[in-house]
Amino acid sequence: MSEAMSRTQDQQANFGGMHARSNSNLNETRISIRNLDFYYGSNQALKHINLDFPNRQVTGMIGPSGCGKSTLLRVLNRMYDLYPGQRATGEVLIDGENIIDPSVDLNALRARIGMVFQKPTPFPMTIYDNIAFGVKLHEKLSKAEMDERVEWSLTRGALWGEVKDRLNTSAMGLSGGQQQRLCIARTIAVRPEVILLDEPTSALDPISTLKIEELIDELKNDFTIAIVTHNMQQAARCADQVAFFYLGEMVEVAPAGQMFTAPKERRTQEYITGRFG
Amino acid sequence: MQQSAVLSAQTSRRSYHVGDAVFAALARGSGAFVLVLLGSLILTLFWGGLPAFRQFGPGFIASTDWDPVQQVFGAAVSIYGTLVTSVLALAFAVPVAFGIAFYLTELAPAWLRRPVGTAIELLAAVPSIIYGMWGFFVIVPIMSQYIQPFVIDSLDGIPVLEDLFAGPPFGTGIFTASIILAIMVVPFIAATMRDVFETVPPVYKESAYGVGCTTWEVMRSIVLPYTRVSVVGGIMLGLGRALGETMAVTFVIGNTDRIATSLFGPGNTIASIVALEFPESPAGSLKLSSLLALGFILFVISFIVLAISRLLLKPRLKV
Amino acid sequence: MSATTTMRTLPGPAKNQAVSRALGRRRYRMNRLVKVLCVAATVLGILLLASILLTLVWRGAAGLSVSVFTQSTRPPGSNGGLLNAIVGTLIQTGIGTLVGTPIGLMVGTYLAEYGRNSAMANAVRFVSDVLLSAPSILIGLFIYQLCVEPFGGFSGIAGCLALAVIVIPIVVRTTEDMLQLIAPSLREAAVALGAPKWKVIVLICYRAAKDGIVTGILLAVARIAGETAPLLFTSLGNLNWSISLAQPMASLPVTIYQYAGSAFEDWVQLAWVGALLITVGVLATNILARVALRGRRAS
Repeated sequence: MSEAMSRTQDQQANFGGMHARSNSNLNETRISIRNLDFYYGSNQALKHINLDFPNRQVTGMIGPSGCGKSTLLRVLNRMYDLYPGQRATGEVLIDGENIIDPSVDLNALRARIGMVFQKPTPFPMTIYDNIAFGVKLHEKLSKAEMDERVEWSLTRGALWGEVKDRLNTSAMGLSGGQQQRLCIARTIAVRPEVILLDEPTSALDPISTLKIEELIDELKNDFTIAIVTHNMQQAARCADQVAFFYLGEMVEVAPAGQMFTAPKERRTQEYITGRFG
Repeated sequence: MQQSAVLSAQTSRRSYHVGDAVFAALARGSGAFVLVLLGSLILTLFWGGLPAFRQFGPGFIASTDWDPVQQVFGAAVSIYGTLVTSVLALAFAVPVAFGIAFYLTELAPAWLRRPVGTAIELLAAVPSIIYGMWGFFVIVPIMSQYIQPFVIDSLDGIPVLEDLFAGPPFGTGIFTASIILAIMVVPFIAATMRDVFETVPPVYKESAYGVGCTTWEVMRSIVLPYTRVSVVGGIMLGLGRALGETMAVTFVIGNTDRIATSLFGPGNTIASIVALEFPESPAGSLKLSSLLALGFILFVISFIVLAISRLLLKPRLKV
Repeated sequence: MSATTTMRTLPGPAKNQAVSRALGRRRYRMNRLVKVLCVAATVLGILLLASILLTLVWRGAAGLSVSVFTQSTRPPGSNGGLLNAIVGTLIQTGIGTLVGTPIGLMVGTYLAEYGRNSAMANAVRFVSDVLLSAPSILIGLFIYQLCVEPFGGFSGIAGCLALAVIVIPIVVRTTEDMLQLIAPSLREAAVALGAPKWKVIVLICYRAAKDGIVTGILLAVARIAGETAPLLFTSLGNLNWSISLAQPMASLPVTIYQYAGSAFEDWVQLAWVGALLITVGVLATNILARVALRGRRAS
């Protein structure tokens, strides 16, 4: 056990350490959203959003169906670019750069901001190739280096022990919870700064959900995390700060403890106590 | 981070632009290629047939002459044969195809559906030359020994019908060709009908059963009206197939260049005459040009039939 | 309100049990008649298939011998075989598939990933359907005008090209259908990792749709292996052994056509053998493809 632990620490040191890599500190803001509006065609789905995502903390986003929380998440990695008719105006600042600007290199952006989806999406290839896929897009690694990266990602994704003997089998043979952890490991492998989680456990059973929530708690030591969830208990368990959305507006944002005990806005209060949603 | 960010930005920007641009160009280019392919097909047929069109004018379509010696050619015999065999084939095929489709969707027990469905699909997969051989060696003798004499004798004395089914019972002829075509076309129409029948929402059928309709009455008053347009589309698809069939027809149609009054008499279709006369048509000759002109006419007829069928099938099936 | 009160206030004569029973009997008779006819139609279809297959086996198996596979076609009476025809079909089917599949794949990719519902994409879809249903003899004429007449001779490569033209629309249809079945979330997951569009398509989508696309290719192979008319004007057929693409090339369907219509008994027998061979090959490929496709659709 201790040998494995020291090996993991060595790996972290070899990669220059996740901590040293980004020069950011705790309590700094990683992502800054200013006056963001978002449109599906002529329908405005997000109105005047202003929100900060603190560095290496978990920001939870809650709200009833259709409130725009998933839409906001998908703005952060410009996923909406895939679909004509969807557009955003305003500013989303990362390191001072507005990522909504058309001149931004999308592939590099998505290497810095990773996303895990509600439905586990393993690629139709081996477990090893799943992890290697993203890495190969952005880095040239030798076989030994790639092996190390795969092991590191699966370890940090809390999956290594379960799959280390079958890395060359198809990823489609994993259970739902394992597949989702694979997707998380796959996202971590490209060493992003931010991880976006779009209802990551809503398709999973309670035990897998628990494992992933524990994983999130560990991951926030190194990554900034934004999680959309319709499960308020999950937000209370995982998030450091919580933002409540309603009908395309951000109603309130507060530390988790405060949000669920003493929310300021009436609408927040009503949602949390189950009056609607 | 700075170093690897620059590195990854460089490599990905490069591959983003070059790779995406090349691939998109390949994709769009191949789409354009398909358009060009059909365009050139139409053009080459028309261009090749132009000398014949110029020589014989619009009368080419109505003329029943086909005389290589005098170098006078006309399309009427072939067009007549093509249309008559196809329409007759449909007349035989549609009821049979409907029966099969009805059976597969409503009447067959569940365990029988897949094997029977596969058997019908295999009928569609048999190459047309096999139909030609089987038709010539199996069906033609049956026609000439049993069916044709029987029909000729039964209709003897009845004014119009006896001429329609007259003539020496060779076994070949337009009627036999229509039968072979019908057998070829049945699986296509049956498959389309079955797919279309399966799109009817169960609630409609259940509400009819609920007031005490029999299976046939549900089919007649609910399913067929609901799918009427698509059924016709499927029939037209079968028609398109029958119009262009070559090998099956060539073996059994008798191949003459006159229009016979009797359906038991020989004839030809556009496809069969092109196949047969091509070897004896020197390059650049008026005969070859006439064959190409015939090909162009066949294309126009098939194109119209296909376009109509697509229009009719579109709303119900993803065509 | 009791039931009897309601009945008394309904207009019209009381229900005549005898009439409704008679009506019911007639309706049931009609229903049974239609059912019988439908079963008869289905049985007819199956009997016809059985007749075709039995005839092929009965007539074709009689002529099966080693020499069929080792000797080329020879003049009647000299104990020839079908070797050059078999090889010619294999070559032309192979090259036709090799040429037509990449083009069909790219067009299907264009329709599913780039054009989608644009005017040009709809035009391409329509044209592809026209090519799919076009009489194959016209495709033969087309390639003749393009590749045979200008170059002064029939050739194997012209035959390959004619078959390729038939392959293209089949592969287009299955590729587009299979690519559209892929869940958007799979695509988005690849995009979220920073993959450019072409890598998403080639590395992820093609892999995910692999089974269905292969099925489409198999169906295309089964179709072109049995085609006669397009080859009549392009590779013509060759009674001698030849694998040169620049010369006329024999093929099973054309040889069957030439032999079956002849007056020579041994040629006709060989025609049946050839018919049996090609039907077995085509049906086997077809069944293989459909079994694979059903497996894919179910999963």
